Amino acid sequence: MSILNVSRRGFLKSSGIVGGGLVVGFSLSGCGRAPLPIEPEAGGFVPNAFLQISPDNSIRFYCPRDEMGQGVTTGLATLIGEELDVDPAAFDVVFAGVHPDYNNPAMMVQNTGGSTSMKAHYLPLRQVGANTRAVLIEAAAIELNLRADQLETDNRYIIANGSRYPYGKFVNTAARLQAPEAAPLKSTDDFRYINHTFPRIDAVAKATGTAEFGIDIDIPGMHHAVVRRSPVTGALIESVDTSAAKAMPGVTDVIKISSGIAVVAQKYWQAKQAAQKLEPVWQEVPLGRMDSASLRHDYEQLMAGEDGVVAADEGDIEAGLEAAHGTLEAQYWTPYLAHAPLEPMNAVLNIADGKAELWSGTQSSQAAQGLVARFSGIDPENITVHNTYMGGAFGRRGFLTHVIEVTEIATAVDKPIQLVWSREDDIRHGVYRPSSLMKIRAGIDAQGNVTTWDAKRVGGNVGVDTLRSMLPGLFPGLGDGTINWMVGMADTTVRGWIADPTSIEGIFEDYDFENVKVTHTTVEHGLPLAFWRAVGHSYTSFAKESMMDELAIAAGVDPVEFRLTNTQNNPRLNNVIRIAGEVMREMQPAQGRYLGFAAHHSFATDVAEIAEVSIDNGKVRVHKVTCVVDCGIAVNPDVVRAQMEGSIMFGLTAALYGNLDLEGGAIRESNFHDYPILRMNEAPAVEVIIVDSGTEPTGVGEPGLPPIAPAVANAVFAATGQRLRSLPLKLQV
Amino acid sequence: MIEFKLNGAIVSTDDAPDTPLLWVVRDTFKLKGSKFGCGAGLCGACTMHIDGAAIRTCLLPISRVAGRDVTTIEGLGTPENLHPLQAAWHELSVPQCGYCQSGQIMSAAALLADNPSPSAADVDTAMAGNICRCGCYGRIKEAILQVSGAALAYDAAAPAQETGA
Repeated sequence: MSILNVSRRGFLKSSGIVGGGLVVGFSLSGCGRAPLPIEPEAGGFVPNAFLQISPDNSIRFYCPRDEMGQGVTTGLATLIGEELDVDPAAFDVVFAGVHPDYNNPAMMVQNTGGSTSMKAHYLPLRQVGANTRAVLIEAAAIELNLRADQLETDNRYIIANGSRYPYGKFVNTAARLQAPEAAPLKSTDDFRYINHTFPRIDAVAKATGTAEFGIDIDIPGMHHAVVRRSPVTGALIESVDTSAAKAMPGVTDVIKISSGIAVVAQKYWQAKQAAQKLEPVWQEVPLGRMDSASLRHDYEQLMAGEDGVVAADEGDIEAGLEAAHGTLEAQYWTPYLAHAPLEPMNAVLNIADGKAELWSGTQSSQAAQGLVARFSGIDPENITVHNTYMGGAFGRRGFLTHVIEVTEIATAVDKPIQLVWSREDDIRHGVYRPSSLMKIRAGIDAQGNVTTWDAKRVGGNVGVDTLRSMLPGLFPGLGDGTINWMVGMADTTVRGWIADPTSIEGIFEDYDFENVKVTHTTVEHGLPLAFWRAVGHSYTSFAKESMMDELAIAAGVDPVEFRLTNTQNNPRLNNVIRIAGEVMREMQPAQGRYLGFAAHHSFATDVAEIAEVSIDNGKVRVHKVTCVVDCGIAVNPDVVRAQMEGSIMFGLTAALYGNLDLEGGAIRESNFHDYPILRMNEAPAVEVIIVDSGTEPTGVGEPGLPPIAPAVANAVFAATGQRLRSLPLKLQV
Repeated sequence: MIEFKLNGAIVSTDDAPDTPLLWVVRDTFKLKGSKFGCGAGLCGACTMHIDGAAIRTCLLPISRVAGRDVTTIEGLGTPENLHPLQAAWHELSVPQCGYCQSGQIMSAAALLADNPSPSAADVDTAMAGNICRCGCYGRIKEAILQVSGAALAYDAAAPAQETGA
């Protein structure tokens, strides 16, 4: 490292010198793109796309991932702060704009999801912190006339001969140096923030109402839009009389958009009231002839049929059947679900002078930008996207029809627009976790080994609908025809050739099955599908872990021992099951309370859960859940704990209540009275045990969810002898 | 024109009398801490205090608020001057997405003003109207119980006290 000489100016120029400061090209991949997405402010030092260090020693962190409650701002600030030697709470954290430097290394696009953030950023963001600290030390050494090895750092200060100098003192010199690309990283023994518990860095803002969510954005001249959509997805307007709505107070515009009719008014409540005055007539679509019973009939027929794609075929299931001492066959059902994040979908868009500015909390700023571009005709480089805190997402905010809507409206009416969905819009016009019918036929030998595992799932494919939803935003330059062709190819492929991995993930992989077959048959009725927390694992775990319990009980084997026997090739999961089993053995449930066990591997993390339930007046009550998790190094153990707690509550809502029914093709449920969410008086106590296996971090946002439904169902069996194979769990009385 | 007290100040609005208080506070007075979650009084995200009682405001017409004393999360405490519940929310890392927390804290503050030493069952009952989709219930309950028993009569103008646990 040295002061840059003249010969390096060419490089510098291509990296971009902006304002008084210096911007050095640097990205997670190490290959810098010019120009950098951020500009120095007031003499700030911008060593890379993630940091700006000001002369007053304030340090801004441009967070590349989106905060939906999972604690990613705390987690990523911890990673970069560890190596930069900055207390994560001291950062001024802002959400990054759209730029390839902010791509999720696990996805190569700027998306947040799949429980990838800690795993994907663990080394890259630490490296960014380490490189920046090294260049600050080098600058300090020059200014203080000392050698770099005579300097230490301590939380935003350089320590030299017992004196403390703020990092900000050296930014001018640092800006003239080239940062190293591979400064040494700390050993785990030296961690000061990683694997330490301290409060979330967004807790004060969120406890004082000062955290800004998308719905809180308010810009000058902003008008408010409400959209009326067809009760049956996909139906277009046949006719509508807009005169009554137009005559309502405050209403400025009533226009048709691709999803329905938009009412624009000066205030939200005015738009909402006026939208009630519309009485649109909708065209008929095939989905309009479906209801829950006819839909279920289609699933049953396809389950009985021979159609399907073979998704896994190992060993010989027939030979496994012959070798079995006993066999079991059972069918499991899980329904359509909405995500129901507490903040309904919303977006603010301002289009002026050929440029656009969008404010919305999304799981993909890149897709949001692309959708505004696609539907406004404005080039992406002229579209600024401000991401905000999200009031929950759980997969929902990767699907951005509300961004399309706000773009269509703002383009048509030439006003800054805030679009807000109602809760009814959210439940009835959303994107859904697909329903699934799953059948498993399994055999077991005298030693408690599973000799055969023949599983079939009938249901929709989230992967195809994700392409359908995301390609237009991620590739705004691609024509509709090309995208339709690509989606069509994907659909044909997963229907006839290769199963969508998200459709069957988790249905057999955890256990040492020698003879396995997994078949998948696609059925879809036109409801748009989406990732929903834990995706395929959210339902395959229910079938898999219920069947494991059924097999163990049929064979007279302890269900925990049975799982240990069948996870010999999966030591990390085996260890989690063993620890949870020891905890379970020590439990002494009170009279009338029963225990159920389940374990599942998802998003590279292993989790086992024990549910303690009783039956009160014919209803399942869950009193306590104990969760054992191995997610490698817990970047912040308390955030890991919180994610397990939250996933358990989310999964419990689905296990006990979650259900969407179709009536005439429309979703019958509409709000929290008929799509209930677990409340405090129904919530169990949760104890989380983190197993520190010392490996690099793995996912935590989703893996706590899959075991809870089967753990509760298995406890219900212990309590009542009733084997409930449908979600939500309902006892026969 | 409807007049009422908002966080200690007298305000007036010519919004239509059937406009719910939530939207008047958010759109007219630009206080965005109180949230819209369901529009049906089912989730509690919009909870404010009216004459000290925790009330769902997404359905409550402002005509019913004339002359009343309304307190929102902004009137309870600020980042520099935290209410004891807010300090406990931070200390215990209660929020995840955070969207419901204004409503949770307003319900909790009303509970503690009414019953400074609630039992766990009292907390369950008082908080059952507030949905947390992220499932932070255990921490919410712990934070309330941690603060309970401490001096709680709050005054928006007075400096916040430290948590009493």
